[in-house]
Parts: sequence; C-alpha cells; structure tokens
Amino acid sequence: MTKPSTELISAPVWDIFVRCFHWSLVLLFTAAVITGEIGGNAIAWHMRCGYAILTLVTFRLIWGFVGGEYARFGSFLSSPGKTIAFAKNMFGKGHDYVVGHNPPGGWMVLALLLTLATQATLGLFTNDEIATTGPLAQYVSEATSVRLTGIHHIIGKVLLALVGLHVAAVLFHLFVKKENLIRAMFSGNKSLPADLAREAQGARKASTTLGFAVFVLVIALVAVIVNWSVWFK
Amino acid sequence: MKMFTKIALATAAAALATSAMAQPKPEAFVKERKAAFTLMAWYFGPLAAVAKGEKPFNKDDAVRATSMLVPLSKMPWEGFAPGTDKVGNTEAKAEVWSNNAKFKELGGKLETEMAKLATFANAGDAEAFKKQFGAVGGTCKSCHDDFKKKS
Repeated sequence: MTKPSTELISAPVWDIFVRCFHWSLVLLFTAAVITGEIGGNAIAWHMRCGYAILTLVTFRLIWGFVGGEYARFGSFLSSPGKTIAFAKNMFGKGHDYVVGHNPPGGWMVLALLLTLATQATLGLFTNDEIATTGPLAQYVSEATSVRLTGIHHIIGKVLLALVGLHVAAVLFHLFVKKENLIRAMFSGNKSLPADLAREAQGARKASTTLGFAVFVLVIALVAVIVNWSVWFK
Repeated sequence: MKMFTKIALATAAAALATSAMAQPKPEAFVKERKAAFTLMAWYFGPLAAVAKGEKPFNKDDAVRATSMLVPLSKMPWEGFAPGTDKVGNTEAKAEVWSNNAKFKELGGKLETEMAKLATFANAGDAEAFKKQFGAVGGTCKSCHDDFKKKS
C-alpha cells in the first residue's frame, strides 16, 4: 500500500486463468440467475450453468494455491485488523494502491467463491417439486432434497447481495478513487505506483501448463459427479 | 305407513345425510389438494425426460399422461377452502387466501396450459409438446414462488 502518485506504471497482475475465470463466471452466473427465475424448460440451462460454475469455482479454489502470485489466497487474505483498517481508510480522501486484491476485496473474493461452491453443490441435490431434480438428489431422501432446495433459494439471494456489494465496490473505485479495476480484469494489467509496479513485474508467474492440467482434471471430476447416477448405477 | 310419515322420514333422512356431508373436516381439504398435487407430479414428472430430449416422444404415453393431468389440474383448487390455511403440514402460504384473486388466476392458467399440453399430445406434435411442457412447468413455478412455503 502506498500513497497516491501521479506516476503510474502499467504492470501485469491478473494471470490469464484468473481473467478467463472471472468473465466466464460473470456470464454463467447471470445466465444461471435468469434461467433459474424463468423456470420451465429453461431449468435445463440453469443446471448446465450450475455444472459449469461448479467447474470454474473448483478450479479457482485450487488456483488460489498454485496460480500466479496475485491469484493466491496467501497473497490477498489479510488479518482482520488490516482489513478493517483498510476499509476505514477507503472512505478517506487519498487512495491506497494495492497490487492484487485489497484486504476487504480479498475476503470478498473468498466469500464469493465459497458461497458459489456451496450453491452449485447444493444444486446437485435439489428437487423443485415440479419436474426437476439435481443429478445427486436420488442419493438423499426427498425431504432432505426439498430442504436443500429451500437453502439453495436462500443462498441465491445471499449471492445476489454479495455480487451487488462486489460490483458496488468496483464502481466506487472507478468513480470515486479513479482506479479502473474493470479494465485491469480484462487486460490483466494494473496502473500502479513505480514501487508496486516493480513488485508486480517481479512476482511469481502462473504456469500455463499447470493451469490447463488443473482445469482438465476439474472438468473430469465434475463430469463424473454430474453423471454419477448414469455411469455408475 | 301413512304417506305423510313416509315423506317425513325420507325428509329427515335426507336432512341427516346432507348435514353429515355438508362440510368435510379441514384436514380433509388439505389432503384433497395435496393428493391432487402429488398425482400431478406423478404423471407430469416423467415427461421431463421427453422435454429434455433424453427420452423419445411417444404419443401413446403422452396422451395417457395428459388424459390424467388435465382433470388433475382442475382438482386442487377446491381443497383451498377458507379456514384451511394453518391445518396440518400444509405448505400453502397465507397469501393463497389473502390474495385469492391472483391465486385463482394462476390456477386457471395451469388448467389452460395443461389443456394445451394435452392438445399437442393428441396431435402427436412432439416439438410443440416439449415446448409446452416448459410452459406448464413455468406456470407451476410462478404459483409456487408466491403461494408455496419455502422449505
């Protein structure tokens, strides 16, 4: 963290996996919300979105340990004290630049990932009491399945609130702090003060091979889970 | 027996029978509507595989199922009698009675959409049937969203 500076240098922060993950998730989450609300035959697409989200989020959780420096949980999860201090400061006049996620943003990332993972997993066990059941619903009792569906609906609302907060924070940075975090999530580059830019340039890079390997493994894992009742009956 | 006595007895018997039948117990209403929904799910659910394209459309199956579903779609509503909102393990929200006009409208919509589903089944129109299956499911959902308790 450092004081604002007029001399900002562009430096690579978000690796390609983080960026692809982020924007695919935006599209899939939006589609999942809309198709879930419509119901009827759109539910088939709601389910497909859910499987894709489960894949992406699982990948991202693993990537948080083996990805590029700023994709790692270790790099962006701060102590509660630091987080609160940063959040308080955020509404002050200056702007503290951070290479990766800032402390409250980092916790939001973790909250979003874990809530999404829970939501997608619950979806596998749901029964909407119309004509749709998740692919694992048959392995729990009907009462359990219906109860999990109720939780799935509640977490859907929680997720919308979290996403709203996340977007609000990004817009706050854009309009109040004059830092465009949206562009950075597309290009991967952030405009940073010289010392932070140097730090970012020297930071651990993501391994493309490892990224693809993890991604393929996670796809296989989710495919097995989703098709369990078909393949292993 | 005199004619008068006969008539008097018959009238009394009829009156007794009517009063016994007059009003089923509140629990019976809940049973009635739950039974209708349970049976509807029984005949409707298996058609989902057809709508999703996991099973081929079979006209005979579709006709048989919808021949059950059309009358079933008309059955639950009389089970929602006044005063049966807190009976047993009902999942009906109080809004069923407080916003009864909307509830009735959605119930009517289900009957209409279900009748259409039967029409497409009878016509053997697989594509229209699959699409209409979604419309019926959507009607179920729109009513559940407002009038069925979340578990």
